[in-house]
Amino acid sequence: MLNLLPKGGWNDQTAAHLLNRAGFGGPPEEIARLTSLGHDAALSSLLDYEKIPNSTPAPAWAVPDQGRAERIRDMQNMAPEAKRQAQQAEQRAQNEHIIELRGWWLNRMARGPRPFQEKMVLFWHGHFATSFEKVRNAYYMWRQNEIFRRLATDNWLRLLIEAGRDPAMLIWLDQAQSRKEHPNENYAREVMELFSLGEGHYTEKDVTEGARALTGWSLDRRTEAFVERPLFHDNGDKTFLGLTGNLAGEDMMAQIVRQPQAAVFITGKLWNFFAGQPPTDDLNKALAGVFRANGNNFKPFLRVMFGCEEFYSPSIIRNQVKSPVQWLVGTARMLQCDLPPGFISAAITRSLGQDLFAPPNVKGWDGGISWITTNTLLERYNNAATLVQGTTQQLSASDFARKPGGAGGVVQEKAAQRIHIGGVDVEKILTPDERTDKNKLVAALEHRLLQSTFSSQQDQALREFLDSHPALDDAAIRNAIRLVMSTPEYQVT
Amino acid sequence: MKNEITLQTRREFLRTTVLGSSLSWTVPAFLADTFAALQNQVADSAVQTATGKDATILVVLQMAGGNDGLNTVVPFSNDFYRNARPRIGLAADTVLKLNSEIGFHGAMTGFKNLYDSGNLAVVQGVGYPNPNRSHFRSTEIWQTASDSDKIEKYGWLGRYFDNACAGAEPTAGVVIGRQLPESFFAKTPKGICFDNPQNYRFLSPEHTRPGQTDMAEATYEKLNETEPAATDSNSGDSIGSLAAGMPMQGGKAVDFIERTAMDAQLSSDEVRGIAARIQNQATYPNSAFANSLKLVAKLIGGGLPTRIYYVSQGGYDTHTNQIATQQRLLADLGDSLKAFMDDLKAQGNMQRVLVMTFSEFGRRVAENASGGTDHGAAAPIFIAGDKVKAGLLGRYPSLAPQDLFQGDIKFNVDFRSVYAGILENWLKTKSAPILGRQFEPLQVT
Repeated sequence: MLNLLPKGGWNDQTAAHLLNRAGFGGPPEEIARLTSLGHDAALSSLLDYEKIPNSTPAPAWAVPDQGRAERIRDMQNMAPEAKRQAQQAEQRAQNEHIIELRGWWLNRMARGPRPFQEKMVLFWHGHFATSFEKVRNAYYMWRQNEIFRRLATDNWLRLLIEAGRDPAMLIWLDQAQSRKEHPNENYAREVMELFSLGEGHYTEKDVTEGARALTGWSLDRRTEAFVERPLFHDNGDKTFLGLTGNLAGEDMMAQIVRQPQAAVFITGKLWNFFAGQPPTDDLNKALAGVFRANGNNFKPFLRVMFGCEEFYSPSIIRNQVKSPVQWLVGTARMLQCDLPPGFISAAITRSLGQDLFAPPNVKGWDGGISWITTNTLLERYNNAATLVQGTTQQLSASDFARKPGGAGGVVQEKAAQRIHIGGVDVEKILTPDERTDKNKLVAALEHRLLQSTFSSQQDQALREFLDSHPALDDAAIRNAIRLVMSTPEYQVT
Repeated sequence: MKNEITLQTRREFLRTTVLGSSLSWTVPAFLADTFAALQNQVADSAVQTATGKDATILVVLQMAGGNDGLNTVVPFSNDFYRNARPRIGLAADTVLKLNSEIGFHGAMTGFKNLYDSGNLAVVQGVGYPNPNRSHFRSTEIWQTASDSDKIEKYGWLGRYFDNACAGAEPTAGVVIGRQLPESFFAKTPKGICFDNPQNYRFLSPEHTRPGQTDMAEATYEKLNETEPAATDSNSGDSIGSLAAGMPMQGGKAVDFIERTAMDAQLSSDEVRGIAARIQNQATYPNSAFANSLKLVAKLIGGGLPTRIYYVSQGGYDTHTNQIATQQRLLADLGDSLKAFMDDLKAQGNMQRVLVMTFSEFGRRVAENASGGTDHGAAAPIFIAGDKVKAGLLGRYPSLAPQDLFQGDIKFNVDFRSVYAGILENWLKTKSAPILGRQFEPLQVT
């Protein structure tokens, strides 16, 4: 188990698979480049992203706002109407920032030089699922995103500690308010159930004892940073997962990581995210073994995972439903076009069921076939038109109306300006031959967009469509691209 | 073209053959047409009782996050209650009294109204043995009707569809929202899902004159038709089976998407037509949740052959500042539900509809230090309708410390007894095959 993919197994199809899963896919030239590198060098080119310069600046507002706590405190003394207006202004600024942040991140995924690092950030965001809907502070959300980026392939214990001390998380799971008199159990429970061990691998007693150990981890709202508050900490003895003593937060995380189940849990989840289905028990055991043998460090583990032949088995390739983010970012990469403006890109992924920085709950997105409902499928087909043909008509009003006064309100005003989005540059992605010869066109589109072929019946339908547009102008070709994207086959990768 | 069946018929034909037999669709068009008609007749007679337009309807209303039952149906005169909740306990003069001991939260005038007119039942102390305090696990337990130590693959509504609605239209189940809830997971997934009827369609860029074929739309339809021959080898349980907690279990992801694409095509025209044609006949609050119920009322009024509607309202996870949050949510819930029932009454459909609420758990009896409550166990649920056995069902759980388990209320009524009562007496089907064993059906209607 976990043998290296044999040399003969490395070809355009497996290279495309690696690029799709470890990154967000790409155009045929990029796949060809990976193929010619060979498997080992291809892996390095994606995984050893530290060697690739990246100078994306942070958003201008992404710094601690030391006056915020004071401003909010001052509001308490204002007259009701003035207070309401001040609070609204404060929240409005946050809403605009979070929308900007969604675009900022999606652009890093779509245009940035380190797609694998961003894919890992996306994994951690879904894993330590934290929502702006409660945190209400865009700087905190950006800060958490940067932790995931910095520690994307780092060490399990380090990540658990930093994720737990992260301001967004401290608010999201109420740890900031926990003190020894009334320990709040929310973080203690979820860190075990959802982040590290899974249901059934701890007791209710471990939850209450863990909550006591965590007291003292808190948030300084003035500096907008983590603070350890000795006065809040319960200094009594606790027994957590079999370890007894005056345990604190770090001790608790270290004891979690000592459990063999912690490695089984996280490697199983990584496999599921990247391979598209849960591993068998045997495979999961083997994956966990590799992870532990590498000191619970993610980078060497992932190298083995993306190198092994199981990852390239026929039941894995082209059998994963694209997440909305994968769908959007992958489309931009495959069609070599820009993403729509940030707020529209964000609205698109939301309409498809994935609102970045606002997962539905602390469990994150279920993923897999749960991305697909009658509703989201039609939205995918219609958003394909937005991207390819350059129209804004498909952005649903309900997306904006859903949260009156919330982040949606800002979008609605901007959308009312009807910002135009450019379509796909047909001449850039198709040769003159492909733009005039229908057979070549259909083959080129299948190759670029599906890395596979349609059924003969679908092929025929597409040809009939092209036959009804004898001019075969750019508009007709864009239509054809949108139709290829409006199929069940395009929704998988 | 004249020998070819129309697209609409052909699509329906394809769907029935995909689901039914493995008839190849290369048979001559006239034969296919006849076969499709036969198939439809058979399907109709098989599902008439299940989805006929006069059949009963269940609306499942999820209060997501774990609603605090104690501050919803308030034991205002109970000392244990007042002692456990010095800060957030509700005073006697703020509640809407049902008797000398308990009353609704003051924001629930809509509920009080329904209660007084004999259209609301309160089932007290509903839960299950060995309660789980995780949102996800406990929601899963309610959605799949499983024992708390067992993982079930399919949802209780999904099993209802599998057992009682075979061959029914995909619109037998309708979810207002973007995601199918776990309760809909089924061996043969059924149910459509949308939140905005206007956009529930393939939008074509082509400008066609009336009577002219829209080639983009026609091509989209052909590209999304399942080929029966292609699914033959996969027929059986695994095609697109939606298993609880698992992104994929066997089968190909694309098979599931193909089936969903077919359901979307078939239901899109119908839903949009009704939403445009039917008007609401009551005044609803202005909220996203009220909009969901408005839509459900329209679809019922328009005669969609639906047995189960599913709507949800979130935000009940009140670890902090519970007072303000719960006030807002319960007011929205009560006012929306009252408007919904008024709407149905005006339509003449009230006697066909039963609404059942649920939440994954109630909350801890003692308040926490943040002006909120932590995850708990048993709580009341509500059942509304014309035919409901109105009033208080079950008994109010004891709050005496010796009667609590780890600070939580013990249940008196297993939620699966409520499900059993609804399945047997309202949806008129046997409950044991759906719930795994026989639960004592609670007489709610």
